[in-house]
Amino acid sequence: MNDFAKKLFQDSKLAKETTPVVVSSRIRLARNLADFKFVKYACKGDLHAVAERCEKVLSSCPIFTNSTILNMCDLLDYEKLALVERHLCSQEFIMENNESKLFFTDDHLTSIMINEEDHLRMQVFRPDLNFKTMFDKINAIDDHVSENLNVAFDNRYGFLTACPTNVGTGMRASVMLHLPALVITKQIGNLILAVQKLGFVVRGLFGEGSEAQGNFFQISNQQTLGFAEVDILSRLTQIIRSIIEYELNAREIVKKEKIIWLYDNIGRALGILRGCYCLTSIDAINCISLMMLAVDLGYLPNTLRGNLHQMMMKIQNSHMQVLENRVLNGGERDIKRAELSREFFATVPNLKFD
Amino acid sequence: MEKCQFCGKPATVHMTQVINNKTTVIRMCNECAAKHGLFDKEGLPFAMLSGLGEALFSGMKQNLSANGLICSKCGCTPMSFKETGRLGCPHCYKDLKLLIDGIIESSQKGTIHKGKYSREGVMAATMNASGGVTDASASIKRSPRKLSTEERLNELQEMLDAAVKAERYEEAARLRDEIKNLKGSEGVS
Repeated sequence: MNDFAKKLFQDSKLAKETTPVVVSSRIRLARNLADFKFVKYACKGDLHAVAERCEKVLSSCPIFTNSTILNMCDLLDYEKLALVERHLCSQEFIMENNESKLFFTDDHLTSIMINEEDHLRMQVFRPDLNFKTMFDKINAIDDHVSENLNVAFDNRYGFLTACPTNVGTGMRASVMLHLPALVITKQIGNLILAVQKLGFVVRGLFGEGSEAQGNFFQISNQQTLGFAEVDILSRLTQIIRSIIEYELNAREIVKKEKIIWLYDNIGRALGILRGCYCLTSIDAINCISLMMLAVDLGYLPNTLRGNLHQMMMKIQNSHMQVLENRVLNGGERDIKRAELSREFFATVPNLKFD
Repeated sequence: MEKCQFCGKPATVHMTQVINNKTTVIRMCNECAAKHGLFDKEGLPFAMLSGLGEALFSGMKQNLSANGLICSKCGCTPMSFKETGRLGCPHCYKDLKLLIDGIIESSQKGTIHKGKYSREGVMAATMNASGGVTDASASIKRSPRKLSTEERLNELQEMLDAAVKAERYEEAARLRDEIKNLKGSEGVS
């Protein structure tokens, strides 16, 4: 394993400590330096200066004592994409320019993109729903940044961002949810509409523009101005709590009304994961989603939950290429994915249905 | 005969715009149409041909004069914003205020920052474990950079203008008092 692979595959707390329904949550703050043009309009020299200043200030931030700093221009395409698959940076970040840098801590719970759409995009993650801890953490980083850099701020508009849809708090809070029972009982459509009506957005596994796969949905706030951070976070927390309740109720309904369908689908999925020789990523994610449901319902041991999340990371296109240290074409990836799947699921005990 | 919505002369140009199933009809005279970039020198309605129409009219819905704006620091215009979806620099929030206020009104919850470093200082409030606010009266955090009295006065004046325009008189009165106090304490005439 090369150094990059080691950094990428180091035990992610996010996977190890994940909970049923809530897969992970995230808070992101967007900040800009007052004396420079926003990234899209800035010249190379300006971007370089922004990156240098930010790097200097962030390096002195205690939270980044054990962390990695990457110059994005030094990375191969699949290495960049693997960072997106880990949610450490965004798709937009790896496409933009040569002056971007990425900071992330060894536990993968904090990352900062320099020169994404805004000069600074700072994010913290957790494997559960606990915005208070996350906000305290990101707020401390933000205080450090504000004290040491001239951050663009206006008393009326708040933190100034390249797009007015982020202005104000510059904060986007999101929660990744695993909602198989709401999908099975076909309630998910109504839920999405209801959430949208409350001013929140529902997206797929990889945020903006991505489709829902494997029953994973990301819910985040749309509006950033006119609320205090705590208000946005407590509203989102309330919404997520109700969705968790709906999902757990729906699981009871599925167990009562569709038990044979459920056993059949979970049993077949494990069969595929154990026996496949060619596995597409969408099939893999859908099957692993059913394994997660099996753990939640007690058909597989609880200790498997973290491993399943790690497995879901590992079998993504770019992760496998990092592991193999070379570019794999589509066919090769499906074969490699099947190999990883057979190897792992051979160690998984048989299903114990009620 | 219909009258021009801008100057009252007889209207000769009628433009129907449909955005998200919402139909808007705009009537204007030749002069006003030309002034707003609807015709080029040859009199061709190039705005409509090049898709400029949409940009013009979505801006117009917010504020017509936004179309003549340009940021004095970076040169960003409402048109370049329309193309890239991004503003050029922090100063755009001042020079392209009319455009930005329109966007903010249609996409955001409010028009005034209430989060971290705002005067409400709500951010300093701590949340309890269930995510609710326990102490909304916690200490007020100041803005990241201290503003000079002059800068602060300018900002307050802008906020006052906005409040009056939006008929938020209670807020306007509060801002007026704040300006008065600040001027008094600093001896500014």
